[in-house]
Amino acid sequence: MLEGLRTAAAGMAAQQTKLDAVANDLANANTTGYKHVRVGFSDLLYEQAGRPSAQGVALGTGARAVNAGRGFEQGSMRDTGSPLDVAIAGEGFFRVRLPDGRQALTRDGGLHVDGNGRLSTASGGLIQPAVTLPKGTNDDQIAIGSDGTVRANGRAVGRLQVVTVRSPQALQSVGENAFLATPASGGPQAAPRATTVQQGVLEGSNTDMAQAMVDMIDAQRTYQLTSKAIQTADQMMEIANGVKR
Amino acid sequence: MDRGLYIAASGMLAEQVRQDQIANDLANASTPGYKADRTTQRSFGSLLLNNSVTGAAVGSQSTAVQVSGIVTDFTPQPLKDTGEPLDLGISGDGFFTVQTQNGTRYTRNGQFMADAQGRLTTASGDPVLGRDGRPLTVGADGRVDPRRVNVVLLTNPRKGGDNLVTGTPGTPAGQVAGQVRAGSLESSGADPTQSMVDMIASMRAYESGQKVIQTIDETLGKAASSVATVTG
Repeated sequence: MLEGLRTAAAGMAAQQTKLDAVANDLANANTTGYKHVRVGFSDLLYEQAGRPSAQGVALGTGARAVNAGRGFEQGSMRDTGSPLDVAIAGEGFFRVRLPDGRQALTRDGGLHVDGNGRLSTASGGLIQPAVTLPKGTNDDQIAIGSDGTVRANGRAVGRLQVVTVRSPQALQSVGENAFLATPASGGPQAAPRATTVQQGVLEGSNTDMAQAMVDMIDAQRTYQLTSKAIQTADQMMEIANGVKR
Repeated sequence: MDRGLYIAASGMLAEQVRQDQIANDLANASTPGYKADRTTQRSFGSLLLNNSVTGAAVGSQSTAVQVSGIVTDFTPQPLKDTGEPLDLGISGDGFFTVQTQNGTRYTRNGQFMADAQGRLTTASGDPVLGRDGRPLTVGADGRVDPRRVNVVLLTNPRKGGDNLVTGTPGTPAGQVAGQVRAGSLESSGADPTQSMVDMIASMRAYESGQKVIQTIDETLGKAASSVATVTG
């Protein structure tokens, strides 16, 4: 009786998930290398409607949000002029070892030099394979080529390796701009030739502000509309209660 | 006499089914490729009434209402641009073909992903088939050529949940398989304004059923309490 209550509640829960995702995208509108969240929707099971319905009358039972991974479109490039800022133009990721030892992938190229002269990310992830700068290297003496070769004072000291995975949408996000490879995403493999590394530039977030705003309004209004179905079901129960005075 | 009670009650129950269907449309107002439903009702058998004294026929009276079906409107909806390489939309009629564990299914929700083998799959992980009948693979650039995606027309499509549709491939009159566009999704066929209006109309019909029951109850009450009383 009046399954619509639960049907509508399922729809509201799905919109809430979408709203959470949009909020996260907006909060990361200025995060280097951030990739926006892709939320999908799907309808739920259809079941035989109750009395007085003919055989084969199928009623839907709501909607659910589906995680469709991340959207990996290129973010806009921001010129910073800092020699330790690098951005990947095209498909690919830098390989890093997170402070907890896990091997991860990131597009955040705001690099630092740690106490041992090794290149690392802002959150302390070490670039893999390690690139160690000679002691006393000044930031201005570092040159990074489009193939990722790092030169200190004109001498090659290592290479920023750019890798990619077969299905980036399936990468697992672990925060700190880092992603872990999963069985669904496939393991790291060499990035296509078209991918280049650019020095003095950072890749901005690929959150599209206008799109995020529209999505937010859409999710909020749909949430509101669906809640009306709950109110109506409630009113109908009240009417049913009023049959016996 | 008390037949009216049951008729009115069946009307209320039928409106409940309609209300549930509207709630499902509203819940899916954002589901890509969702198709809106319509609940149809019809009278449930009728009786021929006779005058109990003269035996003359009075006429027929219907005995109840039945929800005869839920009809899905499979009209294509406008595509909206998303820019995602794996979002595919069909401009025009037709469905994508999906290989599921339960056999071939169809869908118009083109929000796809790539799996570990590089195949194009639905969000549930079922491979999407190409024109050659084999699962499509995502190219090294993370894209799929829309021309390679199979689009079929169905003669009797039926919704099966999880965005999937069952049906028999065939060409219904006046339909031509549409074109696949990458970077776009079909918007939901649920029309919130229509749903709101239907919801109000349905609730008022429900309320009318309640009033009918109350009135019949009052009449019966009169019959029970006043007819036999002798006043004066």
